[in-house]
Amino acid sequence: PVSTLAMPSYKLSEFDTRGLAEVSRQLFILSGTPYEDNRISKDQWPALKEKYGFGELPVLEVDGKQIPQSLAIARYLAKEFGFYGANAFEAAWIDALADQAKDFISDIHPYFAIAMGMVAGDTDKAKAEIALPAIKKHFDLFEKVAKDNGSNSHFVGSNFSYFDILISEFVFSIDSFLPGSFDAFPTVLAVRAKVTSIPAIKEWIEKRPKTVT
Amino acid sequence: SMLRYKLIYFPIRGRGEVARQLFYLAGVPFKDDRITISEWSSLKAKTPFGQLPVLEVDGHQLAQSFAIFRYLAQEFGFAGDSPLEALWVDVTADQHKEYENKIKPALRFQGSEEEKEQLMRNVAEPARDKYFPLLEKIAEEHGSSGHFVGASLTWVDLLIAEHASILLKQFPGFLDRYPTVLAIVDAILSTPKLKEWLEKRPDTAF
Repeated sequence: PVSTLAMPSYKLSEFDTRGLAEVSRQLFILSGTPYEDNRISKDQWPALKEKYGFGELPVLEVDGKQIPQSLAIARYLAKEFGFYGANAFEAAWIDALADQAKDFISDIHPYFAIAMGMVAGDTDKAKAEIALPAIKKHFDLFEKVAKDNGSNSHFVGSNFSYFDILISEFVFSIDSFLPGSFDAFPTVLAVRAKVTSIPAIKEWIEKRPKTVT
Repeated sequence: SMLRYKLIYFPIRGRGEVARQLFYLAGVPFKDDRITISEWSSLKAKTPFGQLPVLEVDGHQLAQSFAIFRYLAQEFGFAGDSPLEALWVDVTADQHKEYENKIKPALRFQGSEEEKEQLMRNVAEPARDKYFPLLEKIAEEHGSSGHFVGASLTWVDLLIAEHASILLKQFPGFLDRYPTVLAIVDAILSTPKLKEWLEKRPDTAF
């Protein structure tokens, strides 16, 4: 059929991890768009690195053309598939929240480096001094945004956006290290509950490779 | 006031300049609200993320500099001519931000000359040499006529040109290895309407 011919072929290459690439995976799934979920092992990477023009992952290939930068990719797919707000201002808010989430990743990263044994350090100290303050600082804001949006299980507007998916994944990852961290943010948890209740997403979460992050 | 737009930021270029340039290039009037530190301390809690810049559109606030730049660029036609071009503008901007975050501590270092030189050599130069070849590659594959992406001015052109002009003033020679980038920066800064703004804007150190 002509419509299938018109659709580009998509291949998403990333290490065997969820990270920010997972947002794009779930956008493909939510929109019912076929894509190749290409996972590269750390052992394979040195030999493959040259093939990826920007020397980093994830990379989205659209009809064979490589594109790096996880959030730029997620935004592009969100726009293509309709998960980018109902108007330009909503879209801008979704982007602002995603950039704020990136700041959160920077703030909490040192805790994960220690907790995952990549860097020497006292995990309990890192939890108290790095992780918990970072969660409080950013999630107080996200909780307020979700409430100000009407506590309708979305952060922006009345439909799923890529930011809903992003936070849903963050909560999942961090909760596995620090259970109960998000109990103080029920409106955020409601967004996660709504995302994960979508049948296609629920099914994906059950069958996807189980990774720590 | 009947102005639709207000940009709230400190009286510096910093993370507000690209937004100001977009308004000027589009010929759209806006309130350029340059606030003091004491004004900020009372305003902070009333902003979405406790940070500046903040853009107000018909009284509705928007935070995060790149979200603001992208929003204005899309409204005014400086975001690329297709979804794929807009994507490459975003990719380039994100790459640029990662590089700038790495290099900032080295550029801003105030200490001994020796420590500064070490930071430049061990931090700034490797960050530059990781990013600028990618920028050249992007410009070659996706840009034309003196632009990094596409054939007309985009917000990432403005972002990179602003950064490069600071480097050219404070660290001359730092970008000598990247003449194609410098040529594009030069073309951007020579855009007549932008040149007008550069000449009349308030003069601040950064």
